[in-house]
Amino acid sequence: MPLSKRKCERIYGGFAVFVLAFTFGISAHVQAADLPRVASINLCTDQLLMKLADPVQILGLSPYSRDKVRSWAATEARKYRRLSGEAEDVLILKPDIVVAGRYTKRATRELLKRQGQRVVEFDIAKSIDDVKGQLRKMGALVQHPDRAEAEVARLDAAIARARQAVARKPYRVLAVSRRGWVSGDDSVTSALLSIAGLSNAASGLAGIRHGGFAKLETIVALRPDFILVSDGSNVAEDEGRALLLHPALERLYPPSRRIVIPEDLTVCGGPMLPDALDRLVAELKRIGD
Amino acid sequence: MVMPDIADRRRTTVVIALCAGVAVLSLVSLGVGPVKLSPLAVLDALFGGGSEVQRIIVQEIRLPRAILGLAIGGILGLSGAALQGLLRNPLASPSLFGAPQSAAFGAVLVIATGLADVRSYALPGAAVVAAFASVFVLLMVAGRNAGLLLLILAGLAISSLAGAATSLAMNLSSNPFAALEIAFWLLGSLEDRSFQHVMLAMPFIVVGAAILLSQRHAFRALSLGEETAQSLGVNVGRLRLLVILGVALGVGGAVAVAGAIGFIGLVAPHLMRPLIGYDPSRLLVPSALTGAALLLAADIAVRIIPSTSDIKVGVLTSIIGVPFFLYLIVRERRALGGGVA
Repeated sequence: MPLSKRKCERIYGGFAVFVLAFTFGISAHVQAADLPRVASINLCTDQLLMKLADPVQILGLSPYSRDKVRSWAATEARKYRRLSGEAEDVLILKPDIVVAGRYTKRATRELLKRQGQRVVEFDIAKSIDDVKGQLRKMGALVQHPDRAEAEVARLDAAIARARQAVARKPYRVLAVSRRGWVSGDDSVTSALLSIAGLSNAASGLAGIRHGGFAKLETIVALRPDFILVSDGSNVAEDEGRALLLHPALERLYPPSRRIVIPEDLTVCGGPMLPDALDRLVAELKRIGD
Repeated sequence: MVMPDIADRRRTTVVIALCAGVAVLSLVSLGVGPVKLSPLAVLDALFGGGSEVQRIIVQEIRLPRAILGLAIGGILGLSGAALQGLLRNPLASPSLFGAPQSAAFGAVLVIATGLADVRSYALPGAAVVAAFASVFVLLMVAGRNAGLLLLILAGLAISSLAGAATSLAMNLSSNPFAALEIAFWLLGSLEDRSFQHVMLAMPFIVVGAAILLSQRHAFRALSLGEETAQSLGVNVGRLRLLVILGVALGVGGAVAVAGAIGFIGLVAPHLMRPLIGYDPSRLLVPSALTGAALLLAADIAVRIIPSTSDIKVGVLTSIIGVPFFLYLIVRERRALGGGVA
């Protein structure tokens, strides 16, 4: 019976973990006591932390860490405490380090610093080098630089794979999100496109370097070959999303002209980038490049 | 007193002039946007010429926007004139009664609970129900022969509550972009609407307008006083219910696709009174046309005013509407003071 089989697996799995824990538990415990314990109040630092730190080092993650749409490691995040993103619960936990984004939660960061908390800020990654830098920075913080190097190597391997599967033509692609936000030249999305031999159509837009809002008319007039969106479904849960399903865009960009990469792969630059690159290559195959 | 035939002739002239104005503004609305198109190119694209991009920009992006500006401005002006006629009160209007804010709450509630897509008829449906409830409650609270002060205070309370409830519903939903969505619903915008939105709002706006216009003769009888109207065969209770229903349908349909756009309904009838006179039945159509012209003009202005992020059209109508409202309060000071005493 399938049910009992699954149950058996769970019991055996649990037993295996128990044995492993018993064998290595004592030494790991001693080690963990010396390693810094970290709390994260930002979705992107959540991802880096879960990938690079030991579970015992993670005291808590940001409120959006369990968001299935935006958090790459949403399932894994359920194992950890979910913080409010405000200062109070962080102060109670007394972590050795708080990791945060550089542009969000300014008041919270200031308050934590005033309370003598060590706060380490992570910038928005704008290039592949930025991403590698952040992996190494987090690796150094949690004292697992070897894991960071392994992630960098995994990213390099994905880049090499994508370069081999490069697009036939340097198609112009515009990455459009809710309300017409487009990713500019100075973004990880743009870097991913160029690795796959594509060009970012937003280069033709004035005043959008890192990213910015473009009007529907502007997008239509720009006429990129493809648009890159985060959702292939036909559901508009709010007005911001409804813009991407505007008949004008639907007509020019039917599914065969839409490259779909889920938001959790592109919202941060971090350990999910190899997956994003593989997905981009798969999408290029799908649209019949 | 103006002689009836002279007044009729003047009204006809005003209505023709307004129609011409609305037509010109609609054409200008098709002509402005972030992509520069010459007037000839716009006309060409409108009738199926020009490049594909030009046709899409004019037919699918600017045309629905102009149609919605026209229809929503029209129904708001008409609703304002109807409410002012019903209550014989120059400060009555949908936005001062909290109807658009309540309609926005109805729509946002549907979105926040994830019950329906934002392009489904559930949205205007919920908006209409909420708008109906708000105007109904307001008239219940204020009572039959409500003074100005009572109506304004009750309206203020309802619109504040509805605005707060709208924000709260959005904040409580799992949507991380709540702040931007709240701005849309509370300030109103016609940007990048489509024919899906036109199809969503139009049935409600048309039925609402038809109900309000069908009651125009009752408004004239009512202007002679409630007893006189009743003796002339007007069922005042039924009239009230019909006006509330008409306003709720129109405002609900409008808000469901464009958010809460305020003050058009207050301003439009006042602009027409010096020209048309005080007969509420004759004010309805000119007020609707004025409302359409005002909203089209405001929506053109938000596209022309240089700004780094888009200006919401409701911001502009409030900036014009609120000083006008203050001016009206000053003018009605004696009546308001009397209400307190």
